[in-house]
Amino acid sequence: MEKILTKKSFPNWIAKLATVQIYAPVVKDDLWSYEVVDAAGITTEYTNAIQSPKKIIFPQRELFLEFSHNDNGSPEIRELLPEDKESIIFGIRPCDAKGVSHMDKVFGGDFEDSYYWKRRNQVTLVGVGCNTPPSPNCFCTSVDGSPFSHEGLDVLLTDMGDNYYVQTFTKKGDKLVNMSKGLFAAPKPKEKADLESLHKDAETKLPRHLKDTKKIPPKLKGLFDSEIWDDESMSCIRCGICTYLCPTCHCFDISDEITSHSPLEGKRVRTWDNCQFPDFTMHSSGHNPRPDKASRLRQRIMHKFQYFVEIYNNYQCVGCGRCISKCPVGIDIIQVLEKVRDHV
Amino acid sequence: MVNLDDLKKEALNLLKDEKVKYIIGYTEGSNGTSAAPAFIKNPEDTDKLVWNPGCFHNLTRFLRDEKKRKAREKHPDERPVGIVVKGCDSRAINVLLQEKYIKRDDVFILGVSCESTGVIDEKKVAKKLKGKKAQKIEWDTNRNLVVTTEDGTTKIPADEVLAERCVECPVHSPVVYDIFFGDKIKRTTDAQFKSVEKIENLSQKEKWDFWKKQFDKCIRCYACRSVCPMCYCDECVVDTISFAVTADTTAEEKAQRIKWIEKSPTPSETFIYHIIRAIHLAGRCIDCGECERVCPLDIPIRFLNKKLEKEAKSLFDYEVGFDPDQLSLVSSFKDEDPEDFIR
Ligand code: SF4
Ligand code: SF4
Ligand code: SF4
Ligand code: SF4
Repeated sequence: MEKILTKKSFPNWIAKLATVQIYAPVVKDDLWSYEVVDAAGITTEYTNAIQSPKKIIFPQRELFLEFSHNDNGSPEIRELLPEDKESIIFGIRPCDAKGVSHMDKVFGGDFEDSYYWKRRNQVTLVGVGCNTPPSPNCFCTSVDGSPFSHEGLDVLLTDMGDNYYVQTFTKKGDKLVNMSKGLFAAPKPKEKADLESLHKDAETKLPRHLKDTKKIPPKLKGLFDSEIWDDESMSCIRCGICTYLCPTCHCFDISDEITSHSPLEGKRVRTWDNCQFPDFTMHSSGHNPRPDKASRLRQRIMHKFQYFVEIYNNYQCVGCGRCISKCPVGIDIIQVLEKVRDHV
Repeated sequence: MVNLDDLKKEALNLLKDEKVKYIIGYTEGSNGTSAAPAFIKNPEDTDKLVWNPGCFHNLTRFLRDEKKRKAREKHPDERPVGIVVKGCDSRAINVLLQEKYIKRDDVFILGVSCESTGVIDEKKVAKKLKGKKAQKIEWDTNRNLVVTTEDGTTKIPADEVLAERCVECPVHSPVVYDIFFGDKIKRTTDAQFKSVEKIENLSQKEKWDFWKKQFDKCIRCYACRSVCPMCYCDECVVDTISFAVTADTTAEEKAQRIKWIEKSPTPSETFIYHIIRAIHLAGRCIDCGECERVCPLDIPIRFLNKKLEKEAKSLFDYEVGFDPDQLSLVSSFKDEDPEDFIR
């Protein structure tokens, strides 16, 4: 459905939505961050948050189960699913929402991850499109995205000056609009036309570009043993920034956290993990098939631009630019990909 | 002034004469104000070297990689690595020498003086630029940062954009080097520990609240550890396989390994990580400030190291990184060492 909401009515709508928990970008120590907010704290003017809302749907620590020995010595196991709680992520950017839809593919498919889906099904994603790019390293249009893409979104807001143009794409999205029907008007033909030109115009404003992205996946196939990885990873310090901040990186580890040895008590937890850490592929024999940072950079690039493409027919990069902005040594995924693409 | 052409020429000659394996220096970065580390093997690439206020990286960190690479090679090239260092970085070299992690012959040091300034704090500059992207940054001779953006150039006084560690820096120019670039200006500071006072003056409860709030943000990406030249342990307590497993390690040894810390970013684990990191750097940290700079969540972890640096100086008159032959802080004692704080 398509509607117009005046900026004057915007707070009234938000107040209505606030019957459930709302996450939205707020400034925390000078950085934008998605936090639980009350209706008054919501704005549509913010730059890219340092972490995408991935941290809400796929938290860094997920409790799986609790275990203990009961009095007669037999083990007891209790499943710990995320709590029943509906929420809205307000102001998710189109690239980050696309990241969520990529995660859906990973945690859905043949095996449905009940922990992920419990959270995912309870959240409604309200996007705010990007009239101007929110980061100097945005390049969504180079990876099949756009500043107003609605992939993964339930609702998309476009700032039209005095109004928001509101589009809904799912039942969940319709519900949010229907909650306050009286606040919304039907768009006039002129407004529809304006929306289209605004969306087109936004695409021309992207600060960064990667040309011929299509050429990259086939090119990567022949580069497994290339010297390119050594050269490009020389300055990498093998931290977890590029992967932990990425809205599409989803690797995890599962471990048992023992809180008492006698009687035995503990929790099984899932925590984020990432391919840039040396112990990620360490075998218990002591052999590490990815022994150096060259092989780890190769993994990050190949996963995003070859393996994921082969499995899901999508790049596992949505062009948010976080890994570029935050890499401590300036490793720039666009530049690495250009070298891959142009490799002879 | 540091003459970049001199630096390039020296680098060129070193590579041409095959005196060094390669040179670790700085080159233009793709990301606004920051330079980027460069590893230069070919003489013709020495032209890419830069020296500017965005050269904040402590390149001595890459000596860790060099050492590992060398250990893997059957017939390693024994020539030194050329490395560009600032004053603070040069003290890291002294610590690595003191700890016998490297030998003096492993490095050929191209020391550059910070003269009357230092390097910038990117965040301070970004605030001044209000979203505009810098195309070029340089210091002028009157301690101003000259920033070129698409709208022309602006001048910002150095004191408004210098990294805090540069304001508190006791050296400003390399204390160990093979060749020196720039002027050996003697610049002293009476405010070496000024920034920690902010925290010291808090009450215990306020301190707890401050760190609780900061560490709640930590995502345990370990960039603060990974960027540090002194965090070179093969076995780090935070890794899941926290000891070096070899083909000879028995199953029993593996099963009995101690798990020091959980992966969960819960308050207890994150506090432990940061406390261990800080303690392991006591008497070793040379305050290059890299740990704090790289933190994506802007957690001010430099305070922890700075506090320990202050303790070492006030209690034991110990200063880090000036003398490669001095005994280490934590494994030596003097008869006159104070004991009154031991309880
Ligand atoms: S590429 Fe950059 S952010 Fe990623 S692990 Fe290497 S140094 Fe860290
Ligand atoms: S790879 Fe980098 S640019 Fe692409 S989605 Fe991940 S963080 Fe964003
Ligand atoms: S801390 Fe000192 S030596 Fe290091 S960059 Fe700053 S002024 Fe230069
Ligand atoms: S760099 Fe920052 S977020 Fe990463 S582990 Fe260190 S303190 Fe935590």
